[in-house]
Amino acid sequence: MSSTTRIRELAVVILILVISVIVYIGKIQGWNNGLMFSPAVSLTVVIVIFLLLLYILLRTLQGHLIGRRTVFLFVGLAVVLPFFMTLTLKFRVSPEVQQLYDALSELQPGSKVLVSFDYDPPSAPELQPMAVAFLRYCLSHDLKVIIIGLWPQGPQQANLALEDALKSKEVAAKKPEYGVDYVNLGFQVGNEFVIQRMGTDFKSMFPKDYSGTVYDDLPLVRNVKNFSNIDYSFNLSAGYPGTQEWVQVAVDRYGLKMGAGNTAVQAPMMYTYLNAGQLVGLLGGMNGAAEFELVTNEIGKGTKFMLSQSFAHMIVIAFIIIGNVAYFKSGRKKKL
Amino acid sequence: MEHVAVWIAAFLTLGIISFLYKDNPWYKLSEAIFVGISAGYWFVVLFWDNIYGKFWVGVFPPDVVDEAGNFVSHGVPDYALIVGAVLGVLMLARLLPGVGWISRWPLAFIVGCTSGLYLMNYFSSNIMRQVQGTIIPLFGIGYGASVYEIIGNIVIVGGTFAGLVYFFFSKEHRGAFGATAKVGIWVIMITFGASFGYTVMSRMSLLIGRIDFLFGDWLGLIK
Amino acid sequence: MRLLIHTTLFLSVFIFIGSSRIFSVEPSPQVQADTLVNTADTVGVSVAPVTSLLVDDYKYDNGEQLNLSWVPSIDDQLIDGKVSVYRVYRITNDSTRELIAELPPGSNSFTDKNLNRHDTYRYIVAAVSASDDEVLSTTTEPVQPQREWINFRRGYLFLLALIIGGAVIYYIQSARRGKKLFVRKIAGLEAVDEAIGRATEMGRPILYIPGILDMDDVQTLAAITILGRVAHQIADYDTKIRMPVSRSLVMTAARETIKTAYQTAGRPDQYSDDMVSYVTDEQFGYVAAVDGIMVREKPATVFLLGAFFAESLILAETGNSIGAIQIAGTARPAQLPFFIAACDFTLIGEELFAASAYLSGEPKALGSLKGQDVGKAIAMIVILVGVIAVTIGNAWDVKFMNDVKDMLTTIFSTQ
Repeated sequence: MSSTTRIRELAVVILILVISVIVYIGKIQGWNNGLMFSPAVSLTVVIVIFLLLLYILLRTLQGHLIGRRTVFLFVGLAVVLPFFMTLTLKFRVSPEVQQLYDALSELQPGSKVLVSFDYDPPSAPELQPMAVAFLRYCLSHDLKVIIIGLWPQGPQQANLALEDALKSKEVAAKKPEYGVDYVNLGFQVGNEFVIQRMGTDFKSMFPKDYSGTVYDDLPLVRNVKNFSNIDYSFNLSAGYPGTQEWVQVAVDRYGLKMGAGNTAVQAPMMYTYLNAGQLVGLLGGMNGAAEFELVTNEIGKGTKFMLSQSFAHMIVIAFIIIGNVAYFKSGRKKKL
Repeated sequence: MEHVAVWIAAFLTLGIISFLYKDNPWYKLSEAIFVGISAGYWFVVLFWDNIYGKFWVGVFPPDVVDEAGNFVSHGVPDYALIVGAVLGVLMLARLLPGVGWISRWPLAFIVGCTSGLYLMNYFSSNIMRQVQGTIIPLFGIGYGASVYEIIGNIVIVGGTFAGLVYFFFSKEHRGAFGATAKVGIWVIMITFGASFGYTVMSRMSLLIGRIDFLFGDWLGLIK
Repeated sequence: MRLLIHTTLFLSVFIFIGSSRIFSVEPSPQVQADTLVNTADTVGVSVAPVTSLLVDDYKYDNGEQLNLSWVPSIDDQLIDGKVSVYRVYRITNDSTRELIAELPPGSNSFTDKNLNRHDTYRYIVAAVSASDDEVLSTTTEPVQPQREWINFRRGYLFLLALIIGGAVIYYIQSARRGKKLFVRKIAGLEAVDEAIGRATEMGRPILYIPGILDMDDVQTLAAITILGRVAHQIADYDTKIRMPVSRSLVMTAARETIKTAYQTAGRPDQYSDDMVSYVTDEQFGYVAAVDGIMVREKPATVFLLGAFFAESLILAETGNSIGAIQIAGTARPAQLPFFIAACDFTLIGEELFAASAYLSGEPKALGSLKGQDVGKAIAMIVILVGVIAVTIGNAWDVKFMNDVKDMLTTIFSTQ
């Protein structure tokens, strides 16, 4: 690598840092109150990106191939720009989300809902919006929430989600009380063996809650012995152990009624359980979170992120088309 | 302190994203920090939850006290945990030349237990319930299905059947059997397409999450 | 070793039995309450009491539940019903009665959960009028919930597991006795020869990646078995192989396999330990190293067989960009789309194990493959028969078809 390139790269890094520092100071001082494009600007941006893609397609047809960094740049723009746009996106609620909501809305006030947080921060962008929306619905509809985690960081994610949910007006009006209306029993090692034991005895797996209070001192769970005392359960899952293990043990063996929220990567695998009636409903990825927010009439991060998500998908589709054009034009071995 | 935390997070996020440009020292540093921290984190979690939380507290339980902190009774130790601990220690025999074979005993225990449990779980959830779930009336209950539902039902039943035929290894793929297997591989490929789409969505979500952090939590540009 | 297998088998069976609670049942007591109305409790009668109150042990549980059933009050009518609610009371041992449930009119049963099998319970069901006048039924005789050791509802599950497990053992034994078991041709496998031939012609090495899991993963085992065959041909053609691995045990096993192949081919002197090298256990560190090897050495053929995670696309894409013929195979469904998109041949899911069984001819591998085929055949037949039965039964209400459908649903229900 030549030293001029290195100097140029370093200059770019320093430039980015300087701009960041200025913007950050602006945030602290209060003269940066966020950025928002007007509808006209938003529309112009969309049209410019579309024209650029069209140009790339034409160039590809002429046999000029683009580099992978161009693809990254476009995907980056498609994700970043919508955050500042004043466009609203219309989408509809899919049947699996509706089913999950229907089963939840049929519950009587005071019903006990078990929520298992089986994910960690890397999957939070997808699952956290679901967690917040679900907890918000439960706490504002007098459903009692029992939280556990089969992943060590799950209960921490739960606390973050609770914090967000408690900020909502409807929830705050109900003044939910820890130990009475909701409880976080924490993490337990043992994967599906934990679920198995919970089938006979919750207390043996969670003798104390997240903050060390003894199980029997928590009014909400004092009389909860096993799954037969749970009216509904919701599993937020990013892998193993997750929805598959819950279905195999808790649903099929102990007859627990269960809905699931999954990362998009594993959602397709869960449709088999949905079809066979082992799950009452399914939220798949950020899309699922947004639809759940729509059906519960609460705008949250899922909805907010959907514009970026849709833009990014359009860019990906555009590049799949461009890539295929390149493939058929230039034979097997030349690549983007 | 909050400022420092958000800057560290932003620094590391940008470091990882910089890989898109090319491999560089900033990326390597961020990756090394991530790998080191996650390994350390897991060690701590497993130590406190398994060795201390389960074994030590189980065998040497603290006394039971009432709310005022007065002594009520001695905790009941669970000596069965010692068996597990001994098996666990035997696993370490792998490290010693000559007695490495001993580590096979705890392995046999683990393999035996998990295969017993998994056999049941997979058999009932992934085979029996799925077969039961596939037995559906093609035209709906009492002929009540719409055209879309009928097509959906045919796809579910036909797809499952053809997929099973593809993975049936005891018969050559010829004639009608071969044709069904072909349908099966098409169904599998379409599934992979859907799965690929979902994966793209998932990865985009992760990127969106980070962008939200960078432009929102860090720079405060997002309203 | 044999002892080890037996222990494992024994434990499996033990856990299997334990987890499904298959054996032994004690007869459950069925206690009928005196149906005469206890007149002392029915002062100010406004509705008739419930009758025939029965307590019944809940079948196949850990002794925690009791079933209650009764005939509703004759005043509980659909139109102009006088009963507003039923209240269920429980008397534990000899304590006072406690209200445990309120049920809507029309109810005639209730399951009481969370009981203790060492305690005795008595029940009273009260019919309550709109003016909140309670009329009690008689108190049932004391009952203890019973624990059953075996869940007979899962008998069919046991039977099917027995059939498929039996088939696996039968085929393993047949293979051991030397019977030739047929396994169909696998497309990806036929490409192996061609791919090795190509590398030989081009004078470039073959890169073999056995996934990133250890020897305890069955996919890695399959990859090493297939390596045996590949190495044999490589030794024959005198082609170069390069195999970076991420686990030390895999390194040892791979070296052993390749060495044996060279010895069988009569060229032990051509073998060198450098063919297989350990890189690192760390996922992306390993990927970076393999990518480096691909770009520098430009292998003509790349094998990606075993357990792969997020690195699947990175590896397959790099391999594709250098123009190598790529043969991939994994049983991880989430990674298969990437392999299919970026590789020339892909062994999908079970094909990887089938390929390894086919190549090794190992009785255990072949036997389990054939045994599983029996399971698949059963599933195919049941789906076909079941769908025909339920479709015809539903459309034309044919009794025989409905019976067939009910039978299949019962057998395959796991609750």
